[in-house]
Amino acid sequence: MSTRITNDMVIGSTLADINSAQAAMDRSQSELSSGKSLLEPSDNPVGASQQIALQSTLDGLTTYEKAANDGAAWLQTASASLSNVGEVTQRVRELVLQAANGVNSQSDLNDIAQEIEQLTETVKQDANVQYAGQYVFSGTATNTPPYEQGASDAYAGNAGTILRTVGPGVSVQVNAALSSVLGEGQAANDGKLLDTLRTITENLHTGTPAALHAVGGEDLAKLDTNLGSLTSLEADVGAATDQLKTAESRIQSLQSTTATQLSNVQDANFAQVSIEFSNQQAAYDAALRAGASIVQEKSLLEFLQ
Amino acid sequence: MSIPTLQGLQTALSGLLAEQQAIDVTGQNIANANTEGYSRQVATLQTNEPMRIAALSPTNGEGGQLGTGVSVATYTRIRNSYLDAQYRTQNAELGSATTQANELQQAQGVFDEPSSAGIASQLSTFWSAWGELANAPSSEAAKVAVVSAGTQLADTLNEVSSQLQTIRGQAAQQYTTITGPSGEVQGDAAQVAALNQQIKLSLQAKQQPNDLEDRRDLLLDKLSELANVTVVKEADGTDTVSFGDAGEPLVEGSQVNWPQALTAAAGGKLGALLELSGPGGALANYQTALDGVAASLAESVNALHTTTPFFTGTTAATIAVAVKPSEVQTSGNGSFGGNEVAQAIANLRGGTAEQRYASLIAQVGSDVQSANSDEANSQAVVSAINEQRQSVSGVSLDEEMTNLITFQRGYQASARALTSMDEMLGTLIEHTGTAGM
Repeated sequence: MSTRITNDMVIGSTLADINSAQAAMDRSQSELSSGKSLLEPSDNPVGASQQIALQSTLDGLTTYEKAANDGAAWLQTASASLSNVGEVTQRVRELVLQAANGVNSQSDLNDIAQEIEQLTETVKQDANVQYAGQYVFSGTATNTPPYEQGASDAYAGNAGTILRTVGPGVSVQVNAALSSVLGEGQAANDGKLLDTLRTITENLHTGTPAALHAVGGEDLAKLDTNLGSLTSLEADVGAATDQLKTAESRIQSLQSTTATQLSNVQDANFAQVSIEFSNQQAAYDAALRAGASIVQEKSLLEFLQ
Repeated sequence: MSIPTLQGLQTALSGLLAEQQAIDVTGQNIANANTEGYSRQVATLQTNEPMRIAALSPTNGEGGQLGTGVSVATYTRIRNSYLDAQYRTQNAELGSATTQANELQQAQGVFDEPSSAGIASQLSTFWSAWGELANAPSSEAAKVAVVSAGTQLADTLNEVSSQLQTIRGQAAQQYTTITGPSGEVQGDAAQVAALNQQIKLSLQAKQQPNDLEDRRDLLLDKLSELANVTVVKEADGTDTVSFGDAGEPLVEGSQVNWPQALTAAAGGKLGALLELSGPGGALANYQTALDGVAASLAESVNALHTTTPFFTGTTAATIAVAVKPSEVQTSGNGSFGGNEVAQAIANLRGGTAEQRYASLIAQVGSDVQSANSDEANSQAVVSAINEQRQSVSGVSLDEEMTNLITFQRGYQASARALTSMDEMLGTLIEHTGTAGM
C-alpha cells in the first residue's frame, strides 16, 4: 500500500524542517558572537571540566609569575645592600692595613677609628634596607629594623625564612641571613663583622703596639673571614635570583602552552563556524522557499470547475 | 412472478440517497480537515437485499435475484489502534525526556559555567588572593581581598545550592498541580469517563459514535504525555485506562479512580518530576556533590588556617567566611612577615575542592547532553508514528475532492436513471389505450 500523504503531514514536516534549520543557525550565531564553542557544560562535558582545570592552572601560573617578580625585586634590594656592605668592609680593610703598617700618631689612629665607627653605622643602615615597607634582613619580623643605630649591635629580627612559591612544590628563599655575617657585636663576642669592627675601633683607640699588632693580625684575619661569608651570601642571593629568572621563563612558556590548550577546549573555530553558518543560511533559505511553495501549493480544488 | 413495475424507481432513489449520504461524509471530512484528533470517515456502501424471483418456467427458467439498489452500511472511522498504542508509549517517553531536559537545563543554568561568575572562577580568584597575600603577608589590602574573595565564593555556593533546591521545589509543585483535584489528570479522566458512558449508550442504540471516539482518543493522547497509559477496549465500547503505576485503573467505564499514588516508575512527565524532585534524583545528587565541594574547601583551608577556622559550615547551603580581615592568618608562628600559611593555602589550587567541582560540572553537562539527545530521539519517534497515524487517519483534501466528484457524478447518474424510468412509465400511462380517461 502506498503511503497516503495528507495536508497536515506536509505542513507538519515543513515546519519541523524550518525549525531545525533555524536552530542550527542560532547555534552558529551564538558561537560566532561569543567566540566560544563551549557555551554550556552540555556542549562538551569533558571539555567543561578540562576548562575548569586549565583556567585554574592558568590563574595559578599568574600567581607564580607575580611571586617570582616580587621575589626578584626583593632579592635585588638585598643584593644592592649586600654589595654596599662589601664595599664598606673593603674600605675598612684598607684602613686597617694603613693603621697596622704605617707610622701613625695616636691622633691619626683616632681619626681612622672614627671613620671605622661611621662605616659601622653605614653597615647597619644598609642592613636596615626595606622593600615595599618590609625590612628585608629581619627574617620574618619584617616590621622590625634588624639593627638599631648607635652603640647596641643586638639583632632584633629572627631566623625565619621567607619563601616565594614559583611552581608546584618549587619554593625559593628570598631573604638573605645577613645577621649571620653581621653578628650581634662585642656583647656576643661572636667574631662576626660588627664584633670585629667594634674590636678594631677599640684597639685603634688603645693604640699600644700590642693593640696595633692585634689589629693587623687576628682582627684583619677575622675581617677577611667575614668578607668571605659576605661574598658567599651574595653568591646565594645571586643564585636565588637566577632560580627565579629560570622559573619565570618556565612559567611563561607554560602559560602559552596552557592558554593554547584552553583555547582548543573552549574557543570557536571561526573559519569553520563561518562556513557552517553560510551553509545553514542556504539550507534555511531553501527550507523557507520550499515551505512557501508547498503550503501555497495548488490543490486539486483549483482545477475543478 | 414478474418484476414490480415501480422497482426501478426505488432502485434509482436508493442510489440518490446513498450518494447524498456519501457526499455528506465527504463534507464532514473536509470541514474537519484541520481538527486536532479527527479521523477521516468513510461511508461504506452496500447493495440492498436482492429481490428473489421464482423460476418462471420449468423448462428454461432458473430463479433469479434482482438488485434493489444501494444503501450506506456503516460510517467507518479509519483508525489504527495499534499505532495509537505505539504513539502513547512513545509520547510518555517524550513527556519524560522533555521534562528531564527542561529541568536539567535549568540546573545547568544555575551553575553558570563557564563564566566569570561561576564557582570555578570564584574558587580560582580565592586561591589567587591567597597567592597575592603570600607576596605581601602584612598588607591589610591583601587580607581584605582574601576575605572578600572567600565571602563571594561562599555566597555563590549558598546561592547555587538554594537555587537547586528551588528547582526541586518547583518540580514537586508542578507534580502537585497536575495531579491535584483541579489538575489535568482529574479533568481529562472525568471527560474520558463521560465519553465512555456516551459511547456505550450510542452503541446500544446502534449508532456509530465516531466523533466521540475521536475525542476520547485525543484525551488519551494527552494523558499519555503525563504518564504511561495502557488502554483496554471493553466489549461495551468503553475504554479501561491504566495510568502510570497507579494500583487501580484511572478510568473504568464511567468511573474515575483519582487521586492515586504514583512513583518515579510512572513514566511520562509525572514520573520525571517525581524522579527529579525526589531524594535520589539528579538534582539531589548535584546538591550532595556541591556539599562535597564546600566541605572539602572548608576542611582543607581550615586545616591550614589554624588560629581560627576560616570557614564555618560544611555544606554548600551553610558555608560562610568566619574571619575578619585582621584575623587572616599568614604564618604559623604569627610573625609579621611570615607567609608559609598563605602559601600553603594558595597551593590548595587544583586540589580536592576544585576536582570535585570539575567532575560535578562534567556530570551536569553529560546529564543535560543525554537528556537533550533522549528528547530529540523521542521527538523523532513520536513524529514518525504521528506521520503514520496521519497517513492512515488524516484528511487528504485532494482525495476528498476526488470522492466529491465521484459521488456527485453517481448522484447525477442516479437522477438520470430516475428520469428514464419516469419517461418509460409516462409512455406506458399516456400512450397505451384510453381506458379510464
